[in-house]
Amino acid sequence: MKELETNQKAVMAGISNAFGLPALILFSAMTGFGSFAQEQGLSLYMSLLSTIMIWGLPGQVVHVELYGMGAPLIAVVLGVAGVNARFMPMTLSMMPVFDDSPHNRRWNYFLAHMISINTWTEMLNRGLEIRADRRMAYFLGFSFTCMTAGIIGVLQGYLLFESMPQMVSLCFVFLVPIYFGLIMSNTVHPPYLLAFVLGCVLGPPMHLLTPEWGLVLTGLITGTLAYLLRHRLQVLLKKKEINA
Amino acid sequence: MLESSAWIFFLSAVLATYVWRFAAVMISHRIQANHPIFEWFTCLAYGIIAALVARTLIIPTGLLALLPLWHRLIAMALAFLGFYVLGKRLWVGIVFGETGFIVLLWFNGVDGIGL
Repeated sequence: MKELETNQKAVMAGISNAFGLPALILFSAMTGFGSFAQEQGLSLYMSLLSTIMIWGLPGQVVHVELYGMGAPLIAVVLGVAGVNARFMPMTLSMMPVFDDSPHNRRWNYFLAHMISINTWTEMLNRGLEIRADRRMAYFLGFSFTCMTAGIIGVLQGYLLFESMPQMVSLCFVFLVPIYFGLIMSNTVHPPYLLAFVLGCVLGPPMHLLTPEWGLVLTGLITGTLAYLLRHRLQVLLKKKEINA
Repeated sequence: MLESSAWIFFLSAVLATYVWRFAAVMISHRIQANHPIFEWFTCLAYGIIAALVARTLIIPTGLLALLPLWHRLIAMALAFLGFYVLGKRLWVGIVFGETGFIVLLWFNGVDGIGL
């Protein structure tokens, strides 16, 4: 990454890197959410606020779904907490990226709110290439662009839901698992890859077992297993290299 | 009455998400950056996101649920094929996956889906 001398340049770099696939994905995913919210009778105002204030699609969907079903408040809280619990490990693993940045640590509570799968993978993969004192500016430029794309997506999904051919909506909806499947599987670190593969296998059955906590349990089991096996994986890979 | 209860539900959903982020920042301020716990948590995140992707693909809700499972799986397999065989370019994977998806939709036309 080129040298980013000023915060302004870092913000612009973030915006221009988000402008493309990352923004398109948020736009598509949130189009799906907008249509869904409209279908379930959520107001447009609340649908937009949901993207800004929750900023985690699965939780937003669960909120609308359960609220639409007339579920009790506690079910909504637990359901949303369960599917959005990934923000805890994601935030924790991203915070060291901002460690050498000179900003006031209180900002971290705001930065944490802007984390999504998109912005998280971007910072884990590319964050360290950026000068430490420009990372926050870069991250904000990147994540605000993604959020703006998401807001436009909700608007168009909500307003055009009835006039959009279902074929088009389907392609938007299907873009999301493809994109996340590809970027998450494309990691150079063996334990992460193992956690990903195991998570794919264990995720669906765990969801059937307990819809609310299936994701968290899957993550705990597969992530911990991958973490414990990390040294063995390294040895295994080295052997392979020698054989090759 | 109805209006205010909608807001209570909404704000609860907001808090139920933010509480995780908040807790994580608080914890991160109390441990060193090179602590192995960060690697463990990244593993957890990978596991959870993988489960999320697999769930959307295999047990979807909404529109995707109208399509047969093999339809979704083949399109996803094509996306991976395009991505990993042709130089790990994201847009190639996406074009492969979406093209397969559209072709299957076209030839298999599913009940209840207008083209």
